[in-house]
Amino acid sequence: MSLNSVGYWFREAGRSLWRNSWMAIASVSTVTIALFVLAVFVVVSANVNHVTTLLQNQVEMRVFVKPRTTRPEEMALLKQVKTWPDVRKVDFFTKAQAAQNLRQEFPHEQALFRLIAKSNPLFDGYDVFATNPNDIPALAQRFDHSPIVNNVVYQGTVVRRLTRLGIILRWTGWVVEGLLGVATLLIIVNTIRLAVFARRREIQVMRLVGATDWFIRWPFILEGLTIGLLGAVVADAAVSLGYHWVVVRASVSLPFWPMAGFNSVFTQTSVFTIAGGLVMGGLASIIALRRFLKV
Amino acid sequence: MIRVEGVTKRYPNGHHGLVKVSLTVHRGEFVFLVGPSGAGKSTLIRMLYGEDQPSEGEVMIDQFRLRRMTMRQLPRLRRQLGIVFQDVKLLPTRTVFQNVAFAMEVVGASHKEITKRVPQVLELVGLARRRDHYPSQLSGGEQQRVGIARALVNQPTYVLADEPTGNLDPDNASEIMKLFHEINRRGATVLMATHARDLVNQMKRRVVAIEAGQVVRDEARGAYGYES
Repeated sequence: MSLNSVGYWFREAGRSLWRNSWMAIASVSTVTIALFVLAVFVVVSANVNHVTTLLQNQVEMRVFVKPRTTRPEEMALLKQVKTWPDVRKVDFFTKAQAAQNLRQEFPHEQALFRLIAKSNPLFDGYDVFATNPNDIPALAQRFDHSPIVNNVVYQGTVVRRLTRLGIILRWTGWVVEGLLGVATLLIIVNTIRLAVFARRREIQVMRLVGATDWFIRWPFILEGLTIGLLGAVVADAAVSLGYHWVVVRASVSLPFWPMAGFNSVFTQTSVFTIAGGLVMGGLASIIALRRFLKV
Repeated sequence: MIRVEGVTKRYPNGHHGLVKVSLTVHRGEFVFLVGPSGAGKSTLIRMLYGEDQPSEGEVMIDQFRLRRMTMRQLPRLRRQLGIVFQDVKLLPTRTVFQNVAFAMEVVGASHKEITKRVPQVLELVGLARRRDHYPSQLSGGEQQRVGIARALVNQPTYVLADEPTGNLDPDNASEIMKLFHEINRRGATVLMATHARDLVNQMKRRVVAIEAGQVVRDEARGAYGYES
């Protein structure tokens, strides 16, 4: 295999795509749609994972106290809770402290905090750590019976739900992608089949003068890979631009919502779309050649 | 050297294409393969370039044993062969030059080698001035010359021709035959299946006659030998 041959393969692949440009556009479009959906799933999954990880690193259970509860009432509950054997540790916080914590977590939103400083909308509450994570639901129920408790949030439920959502998303993603992948594959296979058919005279002459099988196959494989790659680039660009737009808007209108960072999401969508495009394109070429190019 | 030993070709419908055919062609020879249509001339030629497999017997070309040949070896054999067809098989969307250059491109020749070699071969077949014409702009004789140029461009040891003058008028056929004579004079071994009785008689070369799949005559300086 010489460099001359490589040049020849690329020229032939390009010539074939150009000659069959309508079919090539159709194939690239279906690849784009399939990979666009894949990239959207990647973006949503990345965000669900992001939130899950954040929550896992936070406190185990948070108990919020009803507004207009007096401090002595709160202290009584605190004292009582400290005697419970299934509680490893409990910390009381006031709504002022909660506001302070938020201020540290979101240093860019000082204007907003100044605005709400007068009428703090947050609650007093307790951070509770269980001795055994399995006791958390029972513990939460016990807190709920207390007349001063407004609500109990424990990441156990949230994390479990988010993890389950993540799994469902991943499976839905694979099933939808599988179906789209098959449809896309069929269209690329057909494109390559047409390319083989259009060049059957060339192929016959190539065989007779002693071209190797792989020499004959490469232009078609390159053609399939090019279709896959073009579709991947278009899909990745569309999803990345879209996500960038959402991240910028979200930082203004939903400043408390933790979005997965653009760069890490962009890396993930690029890897998935480009790998997906190349695999689909390459696989389709190989299927088409096995079926329609008898060497 | 081409050696065909006891080759039989049976088709699935029970018809026999060839029956125990043996034939040896040495390097530098010029051999005519004659006989009625359907006698098995084309089958024999197709076996020599590996397009058809014998049911029994052995076909050998230099170091290649065609029955045991893997798909990987076939291209290496074919680079030793120049094949010329009755229907020429030119690529209609490529010029004369590109058609000939194509045969070099697909075996990995460099641009430099191609631009040096192709004009030489076109000169040999007398088409240097037609290099940028398309096949549809050429006469039948000229098209066959392009086919011959393409077969010769990779400097084959053996030239196999299956009825190369079958579609041509007598004048053009005679010119093509002279061209093969010249090719043989320059060292290539030529094996040609043909119906061109007058030309075979003029050339006074080895003639192998095949009838109903069997070699019936093999003469060193022969004649066509069939009335009409």
